[in-house]
Amino acid sequence: MAPPAQSYKSPSPSQPSGKGEVSDLKLQLRQLAGSRAPGTDDSKRDLFKKVISYMTVGIDVSSLFSEMVMCSATSDIVLKKMCYLYVGNYAKGNPDLALLTINFLQKDCRDEDPMIRGLALRSLCSLRVANLVEYLVGPLGLGLKDSNGYVRMVAAIGALKLYHISAATCVDADFPSMLKSLMLHDSDSQVVANCLSALQEIWSLEASSSEEASKEREALLSKPVIYYLLNRFKDFNEWAQCLVLDLVSKYVPSDSNDIFDIMNLLEDRLQHANGAVVLATVKVFLHMTLSMTDVHQQVYERIKAPLLTLVSSGSQEQSYALLSHLHLLVMRAPMLFSSDYKHFYCQYNEPSYVKKLKLDMLTAVANENNTYEIVTELCEYVANVDVAIARESVRAVGKIALQQYDVNAIVDRLLQFLEMEKGYVTAEALVLVKDLLRKYPQWSQDCIAVVGNISSRNVQEPKAKAALIWMLGEYCQDMADAPYVLENLIENWDDEHSAEVRLHLLTAVLKCFLKRPPETQKALGAALAAGLSDSHQAVSVFTDTQNSEIKDRIFDEFNSLSVVYQKPSYMFTDKEHRGPFEFSEETGGLSVGVESVENIAQRVDANDNDLLLGTSEEEEIRGPSPDGSAYSAPAYDAASISLTSSHTQSEPVISNSSLPTYSAQTSLAIDDLLGLSLSSSTTSVPSPPFLKLNAKAVIDPGTFQRKWGQLPIALTQECSISPQGAAALTSPQVLLRHMQGQSIHCIASGGQAPNFKFFFFAQNAEASASFFLVECIINTSSSKVQIKVKADDQSTSDAFWNLFQSALSRFGSP
Amino acid sequence: MPVAASAIYFLNLRGDVLINRLYRDDVGGNMVDAFRTHIMQTKELGVCPVRQIGGCSFFYMRISNVYIVIVVSSNANVACAFKFVVEAVALFKSYFGGSFDEDAIRNNFVLIYELLDEIMDFGYPQNLSPEILKLYITQEGVRSPFSSKPTDKPVPNATLQVTGAVGWRREGLVYKKNEVFLDIVESVNLLMSSKGSVLRCDVTGKILMKCFLSGMPDLKLGLNDKIGLEKESQLKSRPTKSGKTIELDDVTFHQCVNLTRFNSEKTVSFVPPDGEFELMKYRITEGVNLPFRVLPTIKELGRTRMEVNVKVKSVFGAKMFALGVVIKVPVPKQTAKTSFQVTSGRAKYNASIDCLVWKIRKFPGQTEPTMSAEVELISTMTEKKSWTRPPIQMEFQVPMFTASGLRVRFLKVWEKSGYNTVEWVRYITKAGSYEIRC
Repeated sequence: MAPPAQSYKSPSPSQPSGKGEVSDLKLQLRQLAGSRAPGTDDSKRDLFKKVISYMTVGIDVSSLFSEMVMCSATSDIVLKKMCYLYVGNYAKGNPDLALLTINFLQKDCRDEDPMIRGLALRSLCSLRVANLVEYLVGPLGLGLKDSNGYVRMVAAIGALKLYHISAATCVDADFPSMLKSLMLHDSDSQVVANCLSALQEIWSLEASSSEEASKEREALLSKPVIYYLLNRFKDFNEWAQCLVLDLVSKYVPSDSNDIFDIMNLLEDRLQHANGAVVLATVKVFLHMTLSMTDVHQQVYERIKAPLLTLVSSGSQEQSYALLSHLHLLVMRAPMLFSSDYKHFYCQYNEPSYVKKLKLDMLTAVANENNTYEIVTELCEYVANVDVAIARESVRAVGKIALQQYDVNAIVDRLLQFLEMEKGYVTAEALVLVKDLLRKYPQWSQDCIAVVGNISSRNVQEPKAKAALIWMLGEYCQDMADAPYVLENLIENWDDEHSAEVRLHLLTAVLKCFLKRPPETQKALGAALAAGLSDSHQAVSVFTDTQNSEIKDRIFDEFNSLSVVYQKPSYMFTDKEHRGPFEFSEETGGLSVGVESVENIAQRVDANDNDLLLGTSEEEEIRGPSPDGSAYSAPAYDAASISLTSSHTQSEPVISNSSLPTYSAQTSLAIDDLLGLSLSSSTTSVPSPPFLKLNAKAVIDPGTFQRKWGQLPIALTQECSISPQGAAALTSPQVLLRHMQGQSIHCIASGGQAPNFKFFFFAQNAEASASFFLVECIINTSSSKVQIKVKADDQSTSDAFWNLFQSALSRFGSP
Repeated sequence: MPVAASAIYFLNLRGDVLINRLYRDDVGGNMVDAFRTHIMQTKELGVCPVRQIGGCSFFYMRISNVYIVIVVSSNANVACAFKFVVEAVALFKSYFGGSFDEDAIRNNFVLIYELLDEIMDFGYPQNLSPEILKLYITQEGVRSPFSSKPTDKPVPNATLQVTGAVGWRREGLVYKKNEVFLDIVESVNLLMSSKGSVLRCDVTGKILMKCFLSGMPDLKLGLNDKIGLEKESQLKSRPTKSGKTIELDDVTFHQCVNLTRFNSEKTVSFVPPDGEFELMKYRITEGVNLPFRVLPTIKELGRTRMEVNVKVKSVFGAKMFALGVVIKVPVPKQTAKTSFQVTSGRAKYNASIDCLVWKIRKFPGQTEPTMSAEVELISTMTEKKSWTRPPIQMEFQVPMFTASGLRVRFLKVWEKSGYNTVEWVRYITKAGSYEIRC
């Protein structure tokens, strides 16, 4: 326990002003240490309390260490506890002094009273001083065999603590197998639970280096162990039940009888008052029945009521955690929840993070029967004070409209939004009306009448403005003043900074020109001139799609943070906590051992781009079609050609062998792709030969220097880092940490913005003698990187270069 | 792994650490600074109770004037972590005697350290049952003078009982007078549209018990819920007595309730913990008796005047009465002057919440008092924003009334010594979120 960094300032009578009080305490403690007078314990208690209170408010009382230890020779358990607390707090910072305490802690571990034995053992294991581990083995071994459950319970976790301080000591002392036999035979359920916790951690960490451990890890999920735990299930307290349920959810049942046995046994857990137990049970049920579609549906029906109850009881935070899970389930099977939509109505005072989830669910469960009620309810939220929620509600109405239920009523609603005269509502509604018109052109008459009344001056948001302009162009024959409005907008071309709006403006003017040439001619000329001299680069925004694989991964990790963050765990947990074994298993043959979020995201983006390119290509062959794609009107081609030709002249298009056939029109999209930065194209190149790096590679500076001197340069490369990366690189440490996450370690670094120099090294996980050494010079102002690579094994240096480059390119991406 | 919390912090509203406990070394000591700078000192505070900063996730909740923050570095089980915090706070409360706030923490820090050591080890929740913990915990909480004193000293060598079949109850309890108190507490949630139709309505209820019983008693509770009654009439092969039966949408029970027996026989039987606990929770959506109907008419007369008329009907029995009724009618921010006429209670304008607040201390059943108010507004030329009317909100408590109609049919106590017990049953219905749009 580290003392709180900030000292507490409120005026309180017992507040010491400085060192005086501490030395006072020291004196008093000394006097009491040897005293055997009656009543000594009481005065000691008061003094100890004072010491602890100083410690709590952040005053350094570590100077009292030896006095505290002297005074701890007592049989009074209250004093002992306070002393253990004190020692636990300061031992880590004062390893030498901690040695003083070993004696009396070891003695207490042999005390008659089981409580003192347990407490002493817990304190002993919590000292967290690496050079004292040898003193832990003996007491821990005895503790695991203690006759008292309390001591064994403490010892089980103690063994885990030891493992984290020194894994080798723990394994050498054979503690894992002792834990295992305790887990399978102990009469105390809490001992069993703690053994299970400890073993799960130890074996998953060991599994990376030892085959035996990974077998043991598998064995935890074997039928005998699972059944043994389930048979004792009712003995466990609620937290231990969560632990066991989590294990059971990973168990692969042998047949359907197996599944039904387990589910019958656990069904009453859905009635448990502890939401965590219910949720853990839900996870077991869902995962067990994945392969049985019918039963899986029944499970949804069965778990609905308990989940809805839990959501509506308990604190906001608890209900948020549960609601996130409900959200996931609703999104997976909206049909099953369509009659429960009223549960997702928002209350006026609910926090917006809850409302947001509820809006999502309301949108998802809409069908023919409930659309009217849901849309009516959503419209109430549009008037909400919370702007974000109001916007979200408009969007939700739009999403439902696009699902084709009861469009008639919804269009009316959207048009009402346009008349509400709130900037943000109008803006959102305009975007939706545009989308709606693309899908249902038959509503154009009704919509245009209202849209025509909106002054473009009142619309500021680029997306909304673009939508309005699109409608002006598309329906210019129905809006009398369309050409003049457009002309006005073109006059203000330079004030318009959004590329999206500019593009739409060009398109719209052309459309308008084709339908009403005399009125638009002048505007078109001006627009083309403005467009040609435009130095902006068009970057369109891609909607973030979540691919189904990610969704499934989240579902696998039901009942964890993944659900709340709506991301699989590998996207947010620290890489260092996971062994390489787990990685290779999870990334399923992906060549790069460490796959990061950004990489996946870029892949998704790249896929989207492919789709986009694909459709626009098709369009070109088929000729323009009236609906479907975003840029569909005939006039568009001319505009985009003129625009892109200016692009191609002004900057060299980076040629990429995979994209040779795209026409001028699509090169816009290619620009987008490349505009994402170079890195996206480098990460999507064909996978390099398999190379895995050792996450825990170590090399001493001397060896590094020697190797650097001896080895020839394998590669010299220049590349660039992304602008975000350059911006994030404020000090060398930022990059160090990032690269370390990719198993590339730094041995030396230096420099100040804008020039940094790093020496990295990495070790081939398969061949421990094969090191890679890298010298890397980064200039953040130009985003240029100069890299020299040296390798023990020249043949793998290309593979390493790919790894290194992709790791570097991900630096700074959000 | 269910929780594996790396650290737990208790902070006051300024962000000072009141107490902290680091369970694991995998997060740095500066975590609390990260929490302060990234969450407490920004607008993020109300945004989401689960946040990721750096490689760590923070779960936090505010309880009175204290923030409790759990830091984890793994993909932890959020629901479990929050439940743990809630249970831990309940445990602290039971030691301090009722309140949990900054002062209580400062006055009891040694005790809290002691408890934190026992309830969680290396980030794994251990035993949070107060009964068991009494055996380990040496400190006595500093109780407020009004709360009852701790009755007995822990049994000296009782560690062995931890593993007993009934983990939540100690053996050998003796009371002179054996008493059971049972409270059915319901809160009604209502969302009514401006046209007077019920959009959403449900009741969440809980049954709270206080047991002062000797020995190891076995209790059996009978309610007038539909499934239980049907099962009973099946077993006794005689038709259900006429009378109202209640359909419970969902029930959850305290861990002491024998769930197997509930599933097979539909009876609630249990060996209760000593003292106070929550026996069960339930939810009902069908057939809810709303205790109050609110009929508002709000007219905006021009741009500077409003007329507000609110009639509230109590629709429970004439012999009953509601307590602490508060009706809050929102008015625009630019309200300048208000005048009221009420047939019962008192009304005034509260500018800090922009509401007309009408309070009626005692509200008999089958009556319908009204409030009419005239509101004058400051005319504003600049702001043409139309006023979006927030819903009218209502608070109340109705003793001896359950919105669900749930009743206790019997509460039986068996103990091998065969003593007599006195049972006390109370009902109360409170307003949950009672909102009427206008």
